[in-house]
Amino acid sequence: MVLGVNLRWKALHERGACRPPLRRGLQEFPVAFWFLLPAILVLGTFNFYPAFYSLWLSFFEWDGFSPQRTFIGVENYTSLLKTGEFWNSVRVTLIYAGGVTVAALLIGLGVAVLLNRQITGRSFYRTLYFLPVITPTVAAGVVWKYLFDPTQGVVNRLLALIGVSGPAWLNDPSWALLSIVIVGTWKRVGFNMVVYLAALQGVPRMYYEAAALDGANAWDVFRRITVPLLTPTTLFLIITSLIEAFQVFDLVYVMTGGGPLRSTDVVGYYLYRHAFRYHQLGYASAIAYFMFLLIFVITLLQFQLGRGGGAVES
Amino acid sequence: MRAIKLTVLMLAAVVLASGLGFGEKITFWHYWDGANLQALQSLIKQYEEAHPGITIEAVFVPGAELLTKLQTAIISGKTPTIAIADLIAMPTLVRSGALIPLDEYIEQTDIDMNDFFEGPLAYGSYEGRFYSLPVSASNLGLFWNKNLFKAAGLDPERPPRTWEELVEFGRIIKEKTGKWGYELYTAGGEGTTWQWQVFLWSAGGEFLSEDLSAPAFNSEAGVRALQFWVDLIHTYQISPLAPWGLFGRGEAAMVMDGSWMTQFFPMQVNFELGAAPFPYPADGEPATNMGGEQIFIFKGDPDLQQVAWDFITWFTGTEIQVQWDRLTGFMPIRRSVAQDPAYIAWVKNARPLLLPFVESMQYARPRPPVPEYPRISDIVANYIQEALYGRMTPADALDKAAAEVAQLLR
Repeated sequence: MVLGVNLRWKALHERGACRPPLRRGLQEFPVAFWFLLPAILVLGTFNFYPAFYSLWLSFFEWDGFSPQRTFIGVENYTSLLKTGEFWNSVRVTLIYAGGVTVAALLIGLGVAVLLNRQITGRSFYRTLYFLPVITPTVAAGVVWKYLFDPTQGVVNRLLALIGVSGPAWLNDPSWALLSIVIVGTWKRVGFNMVVYLAALQGVPRMYYEAAALDGANAWDVFRRITVPLLTPTTLFLIITSLIEAFQVFDLVYVMTGGGPLRSTDVVGYYLYRHAFRYHQLGYASAIAYFMFLLIFVITLLQFQLGRGGGAVES
Repeated sequence: MRAIKLTVLMLAAVVLASGLGFGEKITFWHYWDGANLQALQSLIKQYEEAHPGITIEAVFVPGAELLTKLQTAIISGKTPTIAIADLIAMPTLVRSGALIPLDEYIEQTDIDMNDFFEGPLAYGSYEGRFYSLPVSASNLGLFWNKNLFKAAGLDPERPPRTWEELVEFGRIIKEKTGKWGYELYTAGGEGTTWQWQVFLWSAGGEFLSEDLSAPAFNSEAGVRALQFWVDLIHTYQISPLAPWGLFGRGEAAMVMDGSWMTQFFPMQVNFELGAAPFPYPADGEPATNMGGEQIFIFKGDPDLQQVAWDFITWFTGTEIQVQWDRLTGFMPIRRSVAQDPAYIAWVKNARPLLLPFVESMQYARPRPPVPEYPRISDIVANYIQEALYGRMTPADALDKAAAEVAQLLR
């Protein structure tokens, strides 16, 4: 028995395992458990249980009121994949997520580089650009809706001053989604800026000094030093931004209600309609799980791509 | 000393016993706020004074949350004794199996069901039984801006009565004042559908078949109603495809809106306001759409159900409804209220704008009481937009909508 334990010890050390031996882990278990219990309870009740319950529901037809749920297997999923309206939502969501991610990334990087320099009122500008991030989305949506009003709105009045007759924005099927992308971007730029600012502090000065000695111009420095060294940050921002953008709901709910002509009917809103207005909880759960898969796959892809990008850092 | 103690004890016992014995409490979930809430509270107080020992605990739940809360309550079995809900929610609630049928109570209480307007009653009935009664109603009518009528040289006291006049007046206003003639609700969803239904019905069409099993709006009347909307925007150019709210700002001379706006428009607008029954085609018929609430009892303690029923009969009775409608501005749910001299006198003196709505109540039609209605409404609104944005002809749009609705009702 003693020998056995010793042998196991030895084996662990030979494998280079640096974690504490199993027995100590087990001894600590009760203590750790009690410390973790509150978090387990809260997360379990409000995150894990609903998530699994929703998976279970996605195999049923249920209106949320009636005592009877009908098991229909994967029918919710198959009918989902056959619905044109759903694919329209996927398309709209992809455009929104792509648009906001790219635009907010570029603008965020630009603003971060500008505000990384020693200019007067730097903190003021940083605060200003960050304000939209902490503005409640619903409040922002309501205000932007007024700004975008075709006749009374500030946007079109300003455009009129320079002789441009502005579009109907949220009322025009070909402009509505772009309007939402603008607001989404406006809300995201500040966050990207802050993360980029932090990353810029981490770029060693000597690279810039060396480049200056070699006579590189500002654009070359930005392109060949700043951007490559920020790649891990960029990857992180792309992933978080896409995940956030895929779940967009509140902006659409407040500003367009998915219209006109379903041109802003993002998956989040499509799900809301089916769950809370049409009372199709099973179908809505299937939508949620499809969305989960989509986000999961995209994140995996990005991690794969990101490994290649990380090499630039060294 | 001991005697006093005993007396106190006895008294306490009596109080306790009476509390348990005939002190009954029913809970009542609703979403009426503001003046409506005050009206409800004063009526409940009146009821409790007339019925000692009975407590009505009214619980306010915000309108957007009531259905979700009821859903949770039904699943967990913790329902209130009674509740109200919007007409549109009734088909779903009735089918949940959580409500009790009211037919036996109706028989033993000898209520004259014919006194209720047919429109609101339709929502409470399912498979030949009644599950709810109407408690309030509202409907749609025409509002017009008298200042703009004057500015355009029109008689400010003469609203359009037909579609033809609506167009004629609208064009004069557009020409003379540069303002829009008539504001349409084009933003989609139920707001678009329920306005369009008024045009459909007054052109002689039906929304669903009589047995509610198939779409009926893709008819000649339907095409006519939708073509009229398209013409208002593109041919006569008196209605814009714009965000709702032009009428309130004085940017449009006429609009279709609800009876509740007779209370809110006067506080919001800075022009003289008129209200009238909504115009219909010269060869058509008057029609309007209807909103409102229904009241119902949940399955539970039979004694409490009896108490709840007594309260409901009292609340929906003519006498209390006259008070209720005067306090809230809701439309009558009963003919006897609409014809009550005291009620009519109050409308004429205190809320003259309400009169055309009261008169229109007899033409108010229910939206089809089917659980799929919210989805049907979204489909129809979407295809109405297709036509308004010029992407489909009205006939095409309605046929496509009908195909989707038919699949849903199958």
